Amino acid sequence: MKKFFREHGIWVLFATAVVAVALALMSVFSTTSSPLTNLAGVITSPFRSAYTAVANWITDKQNYYQDVTALEEENTSLRRENAQLRAQLRQAETDSEENARLRELLNLREQIYDLELETAMVTEHEVTNWTSSLTLNKGTEHGVEVNDCVITETGALVGVVSRVGLNWCTVLTIVDTDTSLGAQVYRTKDLGLAVGDFSLMGENRLRLDYLPADCQLLGGDLVLTSGLGGYYPSGLEIGTVEVVQPDDSGAASYAVLTPVADFDSLVEVFIVKSFDIQS
Amino acid sequence: MLARSATIFKWSLYAGATLVFFLLQGALLQRISLWGVIPFCFPILAAVLGMYEGPLPGSIYGLALGVLCDLLLPAAIPCFYTLVFPAVGLCAGLISQSLLPAGFVCAAACSLPAFFLTDLFHCLVLWAQGHEAWAAGAWLFLRETCVSLPLCVPAAALFSAVFRRTHLDD
Repeated sequence: MKKFFREHGIWVLFATAVVAVALALMSVFSTTSSPLTNLAGVITSPFRSAYTAVANWITDKQNYYQDVTALEEENTSLRRENAQLRAQLRQAETDSEENARLRELLNLREQIYDLELETAMVTEHEVTNWTSSLTLNKGTEHGVEVNDCVITETGALVGVVSRVGLNWCTVLTIVDTDTSLGAQVYRTKDLGLAVGDFSLMGENRLRLDYLPADCQLLGGDLVLTSGLGGYYPSGLEIGTVEVVQPDDSGAASYAVLTPVADFDSLVEVFIVKSFDIQS
Repeated sequence: MLARSATIFKWSLYAGATLVFFLLQGALLQRISLWGVIPFCFPILAAVLGMYEGPLPGSIYGLALGVLCDLLLPAAIPCFYTLVFPAVGLCAGLISQSLLPAGFVCAAACSLPAFFLTDLFHCLVLWAQGHEAWAAGAWLFLRETCVSLPLCVPAAALFSAVFRRTHLDD
């Protein structure tokens, strides 16, 4: 053994180092994952799906035995909410008709909000304690690309695709330290940058930076993607304001946000492959 | 001294043992959250093998394990684990050669610097990217080490079995 390593050890070391550097370079310069990463993902993909299927089966069984009383209470409150939503829908239909008439009157172009979506299943949640990520079962063969947004069925932003292979992709959630998005507070129209912060990541929180020092945000204010720069669609729900604090310089403020999406319970998500938003 | 076939056999067994832990991590450990963290077995593998085989084989195994982890796990930089795990293997080899005889206690002792190096490098990368988080990183290091350290026992037992099986003459 010692002889083997004395004779060949340096070459083994050299070859592995070359592979590592090549992987790093390919990752930097390629828009999709390097071939080896892609292959590793494709090989492990069935295992991920199998583990998830077993885990989902166990979760289903647990849910089945949950308290029926709690479900009945939830059902009652949902019926009440449903009635309110129907009333709001009727009002919205009236408003929409009025909006169309007014647009016609003022000769305005109709707003286009068109997202091309791809449904995907979550096959893996966080894999390390230093990142907040999800692995999905869709990849380049379904038209998924790096930097595509991922949303829930309610339009809440989950994260951004960071690595993509043939039939898999890794999504960094919005609380991960590598994620930053242009954001706007819905009520006040203040612009900021929603960024992951490692100190907050464990609590599933993120920061909204570069707010004006005198911003008038309130707890619960909704924060949406601003769409500035055209990288991501506008109007996707990022989170709600939890607390506002001045930053270290005192010249600006930052807010701590609670994401709208609950990452731990996600099973199915939607990848925004392309979008067309004009007003 | 091992013949070439014995060397291949030994590293095949180590590869099999590593695969067992990859399956364990993927199927079970990353679905468990204790004290707010996921038990993480890979630094322990690099440390335990370095402890049994010595600094150079430990470093080379760490390099291979690091490449594999970089292919499968998301990280702040593309070759994160490829850079850290050889140092972990080297440290573990040096500890077992000069401080403690290889065994469960030594495996636990080698795992501490393994997690320290991995988490320190995470903090350095975050600092370099402008996301300074030393206090949060130290707190995570403490929790991750406490939660993952019990994995030293099965890892040391499995790698010890391979070591004893393939070093009958030592």
